[in-house]
Amino acid sequence: MPDAGPPALELKGITKKFGSVVANDRVDFDVVAGEVHALLGENGAGKSTLMSVLYGLYKPDDGEILVDGRPVEISSPAAAIGVGIGMVHQHFMLVRVMTVAENIVLGQEPSRWGRLDLKAARSRVRELSDRYGLAVDPDARIEDITVGAEQRVEILKALYRNARILVLDEPTAVLTAQEVRELTRVLNRLKRDGTAIVFISHKLGEVLEVADRITVLRRGKRVDTVPRAGATELSLARLVVGRDVMLAARKSPSKPAGPLLEVHDLHVRDERQLEKVSGLSLTVRAGEIVAIAGVDGNGQQELVDAITGLRAPQSGAVVIDGEDIAGRGVRAATAAGVAHIAEDRHLRGVVLPFTLAENLALRQYRSPQYSGHGWLRRGYMKERAEQLLSEFDVRGGGPDSYAAALSGGNQQKIAVAREIASNPKVLVAHQPTRGLDVGAIEFVHGRLIEERDKGRAVLLVSLEYEEVKALADRILVIYEGKIVGEFPPDASEEQLGMAMTGGQVTQSEAAAS
Amino acid sequence: MSLLEDELEGHPLAGEEESDEPALRSPARLTAFRRGFGGFLVPVLTTLIAFLAGGLIVLATGHNPLSTYTSIFDGTGLNWLFPWVSGADRATAAGNLQQTLIQATPLILVGLAVAFAFRAGMFNIGGQGQYTVGGIVAVWIGSSFAGMPPVLHVTFAIVAAGLAGAGWAGIAGVVKATTGANEVISTIMLNWIAIWLGVYCFQLGGPLQNPKMPSTPVSSNVVPGAKLPVFWGSAALQGLDVGIFISLALAIVFAVLIKRTRFGYEARTVGFNPEAARYGGINVGRTWIRVMLVCGAFAGVAASLDILGWKFSLFTNDIQASQVGFYGIAVALLGRNTAGGTVAAGVLFGALLTGTSDRNINLSIDPTLVQYLTFMLEGIIILLVSTDVITLRLLKGGRRIGVTLKRRPAKETGTSEGGAS
Amino acid sequence: MSVGVVTITPPRAVSAKQLGLAGIVLGAIAWVITLPPIEVRGMLPSIVLALVAVGFGAASAAAGERKLGSEAIVVALLALAGAAASAKSSAATVESVFTWSALAAATLRYATPLLFGALGGVISESGGVINVGLEGMMLMGCFWGVYGSDLLGWWGWGLLVAMISGGLLALVHGIFSIHLRANQIVSGMGINFLALGITGYFLEYHYGPNGTPLNISTVPNVNLPLIQHVGFFGSAIGDANLMTWVGLALVPALTFFLFRMRWGLRLRSIGEKPRAADSVGLPVLRIRYVAVVASGMLAALGGAYLSVGFVGSFSNDMTNGRGFIALAAMIFGKWRPWGALWACLLFGFGNAMSDRVSSVNPTLGTLFEALPYVLTLVAVAGLVGRSRPPASDGIPYVRE
Repeated sequence: MPDAGPPALELKGITKKFGSVVANDRVDFDVVAGEVHALLGENGAGKSTLMSVLYGLYKPDDGEILVDGRPVEISSPAAAIGVGIGMVHQHFMLVRVMTVAENIVLGQEPSRWGRLDLKAARSRVRELSDRYGLAVDPDARIEDITVGAEQRVEILKALYRNARILVLDEPTAVLTAQEVRELTRVLNRLKRDGTAIVFISHKLGEVLEVADRITVLRRGKRVDTVPRAGATELSLARLVVGRDVMLAARKSPSKPAGPLLEVHDLHVRDERQLEKVSGLSLTVRAGEIVAIAGVDGNGQQELVDAITGLRAPQSGAVVIDGEDIAGRGVRAATAAGVAHIAEDRHLRGVVLPFTLAENLALRQYRSPQYSGHGWLRRGYMKERAEQLLSEFDVRGGGPDSYAAALSGGNQQKIAVAREIASNPKVLVAHQPTRGLDVGAIEFVHGRLIEERDKGRAVLLVSLEYEEVKALADRILVIYEGKIVGEFPPDASEEQLGMAMTGGQVTQSEAAAS
Repeated sequence: MSLLEDELEGHPLAGEEESDEPALRSPARLTAFRRGFGGFLVPVLTTLIAFLAGGLIVLATGHNPLSTYTSIFDGTGLNWLFPWVSGADRATAAGNLQQTLIQATPLILVGLAVAFAFRAGMFNIGGQGQYTVGGIVAVWIGSSFAGMPPVLHVTFAIVAAGLAGAGWAGIAGVVKATTGANEVISTIMLNWIAIWLGVYCFQLGGPLQNPKMPSTPVSSNVVPGAKLPVFWGSAALQGLDVGIFISLALAIVFAVLIKRTRFGYEARTVGFNPEAARYGGINVGRTWIRVMLVCGAFAGVAASLDILGWKFSLFTNDIQASQVGFYGIAVALLGRNTAGGTVAAGVLFGALLTGTSDRNINLSIDPTLVQYLTFMLEGIIILLVSTDVITLRLLKGGRRIGVTLKRRPAKETGTSEGGAS
Repeated sequence: MSVGVVTITPPRAVSAKQLGLAGIVLGAIAWVITLPPIEVRGMLPSIVLALVAVGFGAASAAAGERKLGSEAIVVALLALAGAAASAKSSAATVESVFTWSALAAATLRYATPLLFGALGGVISESGGVINVGLEGMMLMGCFWGVYGSDLLGWWGWGLLVAMISGGLLALVHGIFSIHLRANQIVSGMGINFLALGITGYFLEYHYGPNGTPLNISTVPNVNLPLIQHVGFFGSAIGDANLMTWVGLALVPALTFFLFRMRWGLRLRSIGEKPRAADSVGLPVLRIRYVAVVASGMLAALGGAYLSVGFVGSFSNDMTNGRGFIALAAMIFGKWRPWGALWACLLFGFGNAMSDRVSSVNPTLGTLFEALPYVLTLVAVAGLVGRSRPPASDGIPYVRE
């Protein structure tokens, strides 16, 4: 039970505007020592802004912050650290080439006459690590450790600085089921120690497992604060979105026909010449959605690259409707009928300084309708763009608007529109809804199912368990570059989690969770 | 939300999400992809600020900036455009304007050479080397083949110079495509190598040195049949030759290439986002090479126009002292890497060089000093263009002049803004 | 690994890497044996060695070490060219060009300004700011060093003035790159032009057409009385300039700073991931400024060495591209001080060689003037390939 007395942290009436946009509108929020208080909301609801205010990255237009009942002025991260606030960011802020110990002590390094005392650093790290059960190797470099370990380092960073208030921003986004359980154990230990924990997430299920209280933000306002007892996924979802939400896209059963995508014994290496795909085979038939689930880094990227032509495999075949395109490049893959909704739309999907028309032409610009004898047919580009923009209900601009002016969801629509419009046989969607809000996610999921129903073969690679469950007709689990299991869509998270980690977890542990 | 705001705050390659790929701020961004207001006013404003700063330096060293600038202006010949200037003044102005345009001819082309590379995301600092190599070839061909019919001879020389420049630039392109080596260093090194190559060729005893003038380190002279015809002013007084038209024509070619061809599309995509280009099926390495070839060709042609238009021979001293390639960088940046802008900037710099040269007898300030003043102006212009924040900021009425720019979190406003961007 | 049907595996005891290294060494030897003191005349031994080296290189490349293998082949071919040159020249010529001790001394002399510049570059880029303006900062130091030494009578003041001038110019670069978030390569080029203009202008303005005066106080050489007469080393380092020693001492000092001191760790973290540094409360922008200004001061010292340390005068654009060679040395040295040192020595050697060839054969000497630049080009293109700069190098930091 949390102690009585002033809350460890209290945010009163925080308001933050950016121009005419009100990101936080008189938000109240408090955390008591020894509790986990979850902050729930969709992308754009104001969670990140609120935390940025808390961490000194933004100055609030109105409102105040109290730590242990005393008002404080937080003007920079250093100040936040000074009052005992520690933040574990969603995108880890670690220096990849430095060691764990160096990262943890950065800025408050033990030193003698300016000289780094790495021995003292190491021992302090080990001390903290033992105390809270956060296993790390102080001398390992960040680039060599797992994502779960990275998160532990981030938490240790906060603890090293004597954080009494710990803010975790979307901590489970990159963790496996086992690692999430680990994290819960750590949080419990921290709770017992009297730390106040803010847990930011958009995952309803996890929030229910971990939190003592839950606050929902919507459109910058605090909608409600509820205790865990009595809250359900549905009740929370209603608060988050403000209406009744279908938690799973409605999907009719699939009627698969002949195979359109066949991968035979594929071996692919990454930039560092390490083999990431080791003898992988799979088949996707027309009219079905096959999802590849797995922990990030098990070869998904390289597999997608090989299928879409971005990377040449060492050996193996990628057969599209009978034609082997392995190693022949992107143009060959596109010509054979492969469409690719890329993972990172900024890096690959959408060129922001281009107009929408130019973006929509990106993968097809060599085809005869778009260009002939080296000349671009700009008239056609514009026409086609108008068609596609209306068909896919893209908002925010016309064919001559710049992609940079669109919101994230609309930009992804451009990417999706372009790929689907090319009338592909095989549609490869790699993390198609990353960073999108619920509305945009609904749209993308809907289109993927639509394309499946039109008879295309859809290969979905995703790290989101809900997405996989909602869309897949078959789930293939990838582990260390191979397919280690095939599951139906109603498989449990434990089953999938076990396969995703190579089946290391024993039956009893799986049963006990 | 104005589009200008977007340009300042949401740069595509700076990225909202963490990416472990170091994404160098794309120089292609320096292109004015905002037409109209921002596209025209900014270069003018930049120049004005630079001149202001230069004026301060002039003042600091005890000269009168106003009279300095006026005398420079009179020397440019731009006053010929004013109908009230007449008589002897007009004749002088005409002569000066011819000079300005003569200077502008190579500047435009070298500017295009730099601009095209920028559009494709590359820094072509090698304009000087490409120009030099083009010059060597142009003067060699121009001074040989005495019997060739003039049109053929001139075409041959220009095309060969273009090819030479293209090849020289191509080296840097190939190196970048195969080893990933940064073209800044490689093109700069190639500059120096080209210069020494040139000096070697025309020095006393060098392979291309003029056999008729054994004690002068100079090339042979261009034969009369290969000289470009002069259409304004007299050939004896170095009037304006047709080279300027070739220059302008190539500027149009540049514009067409960029906007209307597949190649231009590929180059622009690579310039904005090489990863997206790869994803779209574009061969990035090959595009780099092709772009460098075109850039080198522009620079090589520039040299040939100079040689065949008024230089008619090449001294080793010319080769070592020439700064055309570097002026070209400022021209491209000032012109925001567009065809029209480059032409305007080229003319501007041509005017500056003419006005500050020792031909200008009205100069109220020592010409040597003024030459360095030009360098300083160039430096300031480049600095200002490197950010384009400062001038865009001023355009928006001085809002948020404060220096730590807070980025609007685009993700936050995603849904609440909806489509109302 | 298989090449078609044929599988190439190196002999059991030797790895592909060793083959590649052996190839490089053999290739180098192919040339070295034609030089004093061995002075083999005739091409045959060199040809044999070079062929073997090429063979090793090819085998190494085929067995997986592509970069190393191709390096071996390049070295072998270059060595062959060198051997041919030696063979064509008379023995006396070869000897006079390759007077090792003089070459070594000249190498140090040429390497010193490069070293200061390269170390400055390392500091700046360790903090994440690309500094293409090294040339300009060097030039400033070059001129203002002479100015200061002349005006205030002692080389020490000259060096101080040089440092200040370099620091100020670097400050401008910093303002544009750090605060105004400019494209750092472009702003660096702007700096170079600015420096060219400023130094030329004030040279003309202050000293007029006669140039700088003749009796400027210059940095003294350090006379090592005992060592000076001990053979090769003696002549090489026995009379080296004070600044050369300072530069050499800076290498381990900077290494120690970067990797063993607190602030070095912080600087490097800012170059790699400024957000990480910001999130623990480090003043990212301020530290970057300090790094850039420091790099400007160092580069200026390098430039000052050229004028105040060596020649005793200043002429226009005296640095002649050395700032860019220093930049290349930094890249070649993989952004580490020791690496930069070796690179600077290599480039300095190139300069020294071209000098000596010029004294023997002026026409050919002109071509050899291009040698340092060719070496730099080959280094950046061929031998270095993709080495990794600090991850946030060149990316302006914006707190969000």
